[in-house]
Formats: sequence, structure tokens, C-alpha cells
Amino acid sequence: MSVANAIEVDDLRRTFTRRAPGALNRMFSRRRAAASSNDNEAGCNNGGKRPAALVAVDGITFDIRVGEIFGLLGPNGAGKTTTIKMLCTLLEPTSGTARVAGFDIVREPARVRASLGTVLSGERSLYWKLTGRENLEYFAALYDVEPSTASTRIRELLDRFELTDKANELVERYSTGMRQRLSIARALLANPPVLLLDEPTAGLDPQSARNLREVVRKLKDEGHTILLTTHYMAEADELSDRIAIIDHGKVIALDTPAVLKQHIQQMHSVEVETDREPDGILDELRSLPLVRGVECIQSGNGFETWTIRVLTEDSRQTLDTLLDLLRAGGERVLNLRVAEPTLEDVFIALTGKSLRD
Amino acid sequence: MSRTMPHTVRVFLAAARRDILITTRYADFVVSMLVWPVLMPSLTVFAAKALAGPDGSGLSAFAERTGTTDYVGFVFAGMVLWMWLNMVLWSVGGELRAEQRRGTLESNWMTPAPRLAMLLGSGLNQMIVSIVPVIASLAVCSIAWGVRFAVTPLVGLVFLVSTMAMFGMALAFASLVLFLKELNAAVFFLRGVFMVFCGLTSPLSVLPPWMRTVSKALPLTYSIDLVRRLGLAGASYADVSRDFWILTAFAAGLLIAGCLAFLFVDRAVKRSGTLGQY
Repeated sequence: MSVANAIEVDDLRRTFTRRAPGALNRMFSRRRAAASSNDNEAGCNNGGKRPAALVAVDGITFDIRVGEIFGLLGPNGAGKTTTIKMLCTLLEPTSGTARVAGFDIVREPARVRASLGTVLSGERSLYWKLTGRENLEYFAALYDVEPSTASTRIRELLDRFELTDKANELVERYSTGMRQRLSIARALLANPPVLLLDEPTAGLDPQSARNLREVVRKLKDEGHTILLTTHYMAEADELSDRIAIIDHGKVIALDTPAVLKQHIQQMHSVEVETDREPDGILDELRSLPLVRGVECIQSGNGFETWTIRVLTEDSRQTLDTLLDLLRAGGERVLNLRVAEPTLEDVFIALTGKSLRD
Repeated sequence: MSRTMPHTVRVFLAAARRDILITTRYADFVVSMLVWPVLMPSLTVFAAKALAGPDGSGLSAFAERTGTTDYVGFVFAGMVLWMWLNMVLWSVGGELRAEQRRGTLESNWMTPAPRLAMLLGSGLNQMIVSIVPVIASLAVCSIAWGVRFAVTPLVGLVFLVSTMAMFGMALAFASLVLFLKELNAAVFFLRGVFMVFCGLTSPLSVLPPWMRTVSKALPLTYSIDLVRRLGLAGASYADVSRDFWILTAFAAGLLIAGCLAFLFVDRAVKRSGTLGQY
């Protein structure tokens, strides 16, 4: 391994074989599996008679330098979690190689696991019928933390993550944020050089998410290398030294957030909030010559409003057309904003769709 | 590299402690564990009493075939061992299944800990849990039915060797869990086979010849027979040595086969990507 790289991924690929349904299933099924239109699928789908293959990760290559936060950004099903699972040796790649802290993920899985602290998405990775302290004591044994130092280490981590007061309570009584902090504490038990954090702020309230981002920054300051996957553009932008945008299993862009945004600096993001879901105008907007991407999301503000975001090279012309289309459709415009492009716009420009699609 | 013997032992003990703590936090399970072994054999004991007739004249036919008139002890020994087998057989696979459902399996397997040690640690908890109903049954046997059961070191050894044989099968089942997920049908089938073929409530001599041949290929047959002969009929080691070593061979073979099956499946699920699926 090169000293500068904590993780090296070279042409990593993972294909899943999807088995055909059994004879009974087929007999009682009303519909046979429709031929897949997904261009990410390999093999053939012939009515469930033969297995088809799904390419979850399609020949990705990247290096993560020692001490950096590397963001892996992509929508659901893009291949982020599959990549993490290969790196933490839960899954073997179909082809390609990867090394973590210099150890090959296929040939030296135990050494890889000893060099890693991993937090997978979801909050069920702890024992809810054990206390926070009991969870850490159990995982300290699994991570081979010396018994003579384990209790001191656990005390430090409980303290650091502000869980000391609740250390002797069952995890089932913890809030989501506390469980997530405990999961990170667990990953840090053996003080590993590399951390894999899969959607660490998913499901957290804004304050807890902010606190957790602060924790991630401090871990970087302490010298940990962090691979972070996230749905949240702002989070990736704020935390990552470099970002790989992944879609349909392929890395479609990889650079610092600033450079990625520079690529679309001549563009603007036009945002319009309406009182109801716009009907049929999104395809018309996409067909405009200077429009690079369109998304429409329901506002998360508790009111029944929708926000249309259009990434365009000519905000004035696009705005005129957009307002005309909305008026013609009878929608009321509640808010309007023209903004500089964000990382989200980079994603839309690269893929033509939103992260939420 | 982390895979040292002290680490393996620590993982084994930590997994056992984890499961013991979790078990004790489900009070209803503890109650059922004590009540069920008392009620279940009682059904067969009452049926046997009825069949023996009001004056117990049927007992002579029973004694002719079994060498003992103590049908209560005979039935209890068979039923208790069978119930204990049920618990052990499904213990490791059940724990793996529970881990899959809870979502904790992957967080365990992401660590550098040896997986077999984790599983066997879970098994240790199950063993401890399984001993409680056995003791409860023995107590009921003694207090309510007046059975005098000789708990000698040799009986303890038979119990231990039988446990190892069952763990071998339990590991094989655990391997199947990783592949097939739900194994209730297979477990029920095997329980049924043991129930009919191993002489739970009746002597093997009443079985048709072909069934007796099958029963000789099942380790529980030897476990039950040995416990009855040693604990109830007062047999010595010399009387049972041949069957004892057959049982020991079963235990060694099944344990090795179970461990190999698990190591094979461990690799296979990493290739198929089905570890966390449930």
C-alpha cells in the first residue's frame, strides 16, 4: 500500500444473482416478472425461468488519503452501501481489488476488520436489551480490546459521547441520536485508523445531526480517515475533503466539493414554491434547451407545498417559461429564488435527476 | 492479527454473558422454561398409569420389555432428554436467526472476532438455560412421583457428550439458517423423527425392525438409553461402555461436520451477499 492512502479501490465490481421464483410461486403469481427496463441489469430476465444479474457496483476506482474525509454520495440503490459492505468484508467483490490500511479485503479479512470501525445505516445494530455500557463491554471483547484497558476506554467513550448518565440504562430507552452516538463509540473502541460511516445522520433531528457532524470533524482532527456515505448534499459539502458521486454503481464524478461546483458555475438554480403539485410541466421544463436538470420535491415544512428546482444556463428565460407554465396550470407561486449552484445541482447536472429520485 | 487464543476465549465468554443478560430480561421466558418441562412429561405419565390398569397389572408387560417397573422414571428420562434436545438443536440457529431479525448480525461479523467462538458462546448460554428445565424435571420426578434417579459422574458425562453431539447438529442447522433463513419446518421434522424413533416413551423393542435400524443411527437413542440404564437401572460403565463410545463417536463426528459446514457457509454467504437478509 502507498503510505498516503488509507483505502485503495481498484475496478471493484459486485454483481448479485437474482434467482427465479420457485414453481409454486410462479403457479400462484398473477403476473410473471416483467422484462426489466433497467439498463443496470445484466443477463436476461425471461419470465422468471433463468436467473438475472444485478450489477450493484460497476467497476469503481478511487483512493482515500490518510486523514481525509471522503464522501460517497448517491441516491438509494446507487451502490454506496454495497461498497461499504465490501470494504468491511461482509461481502466479497465479484471482481477487482480493494485494500484497507494496506490489507487486502479478500485475502486478509481479519486484518481489515481489525483496522476498521464501521457504522452501518439503521439503528438496530446494537442490543436493545443490553445497557449502553454492556453493549460496549461486549463489543470491546469482539474488537480484542485488552481487558486491562477496556473499562477505561469505555468510560472515555461514554464521556466523550455524553452517554455517561445513561450508561446503565437499556438501549431500548435511548433516543435515536443516543443510539447513533453509541454506535460510533462502538466503532471507536479499538481506536481504528479508518472509519466507515454509512449515513450516520439519517433519521436524526437537526440538532443531533449537527452535533454528529461536529463529532465527525473532530475524528478527522484526531487523524482518523473517514469514508462517509450520505444522502445529504449539504452534509457532504460541509464535511468532505473530496467527494465521489456514485450512480448506478459507477463513479460519475470525483473531486473536491469546490471543484465539482466550479464545473457548473455558469449555471443558476431557479427555485419556485407552489401551492400544489405541478402537473405535467416538468417534462416541458426538461425539454428546454438551456435546462440541465429539474426536480420537484414536496416541502418538508408541514404545509402542502411543492418546490420545483431548475438548473439552467439562462435563469431569466427559464424563469419566464416556468412562470408561464405554472400560470397556465393554475398553480399559485408562493416563493421564488434564483441561487448559486450547490452540490445538489452538481448531482442533478451529472445525472439529470435528484438524489431523492 | 487478532485471532489469538485469549481473544477467542474472551469472545466466547462475552457472547455467553450477552445472551444470559438478554435471556434474564425476558421474565416470561424464564417462567415458561420452568413450567413446561414439568407439565409435558406429566401427560405421558398419566397416560401410562391409565394403560397399566387400576391394579398396575400392565406393569409386568412393561417390565418384561424394559427391565424396570419404574415407568414414570422411564418416561421422564425420555421426555426430558427430548425437550433438552429441542432447545439445544435450535439454540445456535435460533440465535443466528434472532441476530438477523434484530439487525445485529452484521455488526458482530464486522468485528475481527472469530465467528465460531461467538456462536459457541451463544450455545453456552443455551446450555445453561437448558439445564434449568432438566433440574426442574428431576425435582418434580423425585418429589411428585417418587422416582429415585442416580445422578452419577458417568450420567453427567453422558449428558455432556450428548450435548456435544447436539451442538454438532445445531451448528449444521445454523449454517442452513444463513442460507435458507427459516428452518422451522426442518426443525419440526427432525424433532418428530427423534420423538418416534428414539424410544422417548416406549422401549425400542416395540418398534418394527426397520424403525429399530433407523433408531440406531440417531445419537439421541443412545443418550436416552444410557441415561435410563445408568440412572434408573443401576448399570455400570462396563455394562454400557460400547454404547457410550458409539455416542462419543457420534459427538466427535457431528461436531467436526457442524464446524466444517459453518465455515463453508460463512464463506458462501459472503459471496452470495445474503448475510444480512432475512
